[in-house]
Amino acid sequence: MNGSDHNQWSEDLAAYMLGALTPDEVAEFERHLEGCERCQGEVRWFEPALQSLPESVERQEPPPRLRAALMAEVRADAKAQPRAASAKRRSRGWFLRPAVGFAVLVLAIAIAGYEIGKGGSEGGGSASPLVTHENGITMKMVPDGDGGTLHLANLHQLPSGKVLEAWVRREGKIEAVPALLVPDRRGQAETAVADMSGVDTVMVTEEPQGGSEEPTGDAIVTMSVPQ
Amino acid sequence: MAVRREKAERLADEELMPLVGRKDAEAFEVLYDRHGGAAYSLAYRIVGDRAAAEEVSQEAFISVWRSGARFDAARGSVRSWLLSVVRNRAIDFLRSKAGKAPKLDFDDEAALEQRPATERTEEEALRRETAGEVRGAIGNLPGEQAKVIELAYFGGFSHSEIAQMLQLPMGTVKGRMRLGLEKIRGELAEGLA
Repeated sequence: MNGSDHNQWSEDLAAYMLGALTPDEVAEFERHLEGCERCQGEVRWFEPALQSLPESVERQEPPPRLRAALMAEVRADAKAQPRAASAKRRSRGWFLRPAVGFAVLVLAIAIAGYEIGKGGSEGGGSASPLVTHENGITMKMVPDGDGGTLHLANLHQLPSGKVLEAWVRREGKIEAVPALLVPDRRGQAETAVADMSGVDTVMVTEEPQGGSEEPTGDAIVTMSVPQ
Repeated sequence: MAVRREKAERLADEELMPLVGRKDAEAFEVLYDRHGGAAYSLAYRIVGDRAAAEEVSQEAFISVWRSGARFDAARGSVRSWLLSVVRNRAIDFLRSKAGKAPKLDFDDEAALEQRPATERTEEEALRRETAGEVRGAIGNLPGEQAKVIELAYFGGFSHSEIAQMLQLPMGTVKGRMRLGLEKIRGELAEGLA
């Protein structure tokens, strides 16, 4: 390749590094890069300049609840790993069944102390509502004494003969929440959970009319509860 | 088994990553404490909204937690990898917001004219709020070079979009990007000398 041909790639290189090429252009550039030592050298040389860009922004202090929510989710996820592995070995219990339980646990989202609207709590304490979003559904647990109220929003209308059932996991055991959930016209439903002590996960499944003794399908939304 | 927090604090980022890959929450917590501020600041700089920056930061760190094993030390530092994850998430967030284009930090009337009035007002407010944020290496660049780099890196615009916005030939946009990066790189090299 002569110098003139190479100028085109040199011109594209900065745009490539800044993420300003289209996917097709990126693919084309990377094919060239693979075999071009000159461009590889330039990429290496420019790398510190690129890395300086995110460092150039004005420092903002992240809210403490971000750390709290993140670590709640991470700890729930970390705890779930050995349990899921153990369940796989023993093939026992719905929640720990690999096809269902592990995926549900890995997807568990806990947003501790998340501020709901303006004027919400900043502290992330145990009395703050927990909110999670999954499959387009919003689930909020509002603590009240020893228990709480579970609110669901953005629910789809259920097929005929189906209801929603909420479940809690306490000390590794799955328990049904007595009242079944039926979405109203606005796609909202709620139910009370009498006792939240020791509960580390709340989930909702779709069940046949009348509910089930144990969950029969994948959770449509799952929430980890920080201990 | 999880390493204790004190032990994790003594480890370099590159030593923490294998632990994060093995789902060690303490190692991850140390990583967040070291880089969470920079990550949130970058997310805020790109999305221009605190709640959105929080969401983007959380998604990015969870992605790192779940894909920690994919970090390749040969391709750069943990911090730069992590910030690139944040940047990508933030740009995706902007793109997912239909009709809500990234904010600009420059007096770019041509670009603003292409947006609805409500968005312009929002952007004006954000722009004023964040005026003067650009600093360091990029802040020393000639305006036209800083502008194209800003639009690409913090705005997520492609070179052709930038060319259209600024009514410039694409070659000029790419040339300014290169000149800008060269200048930043040169200043960094001088600083090291």
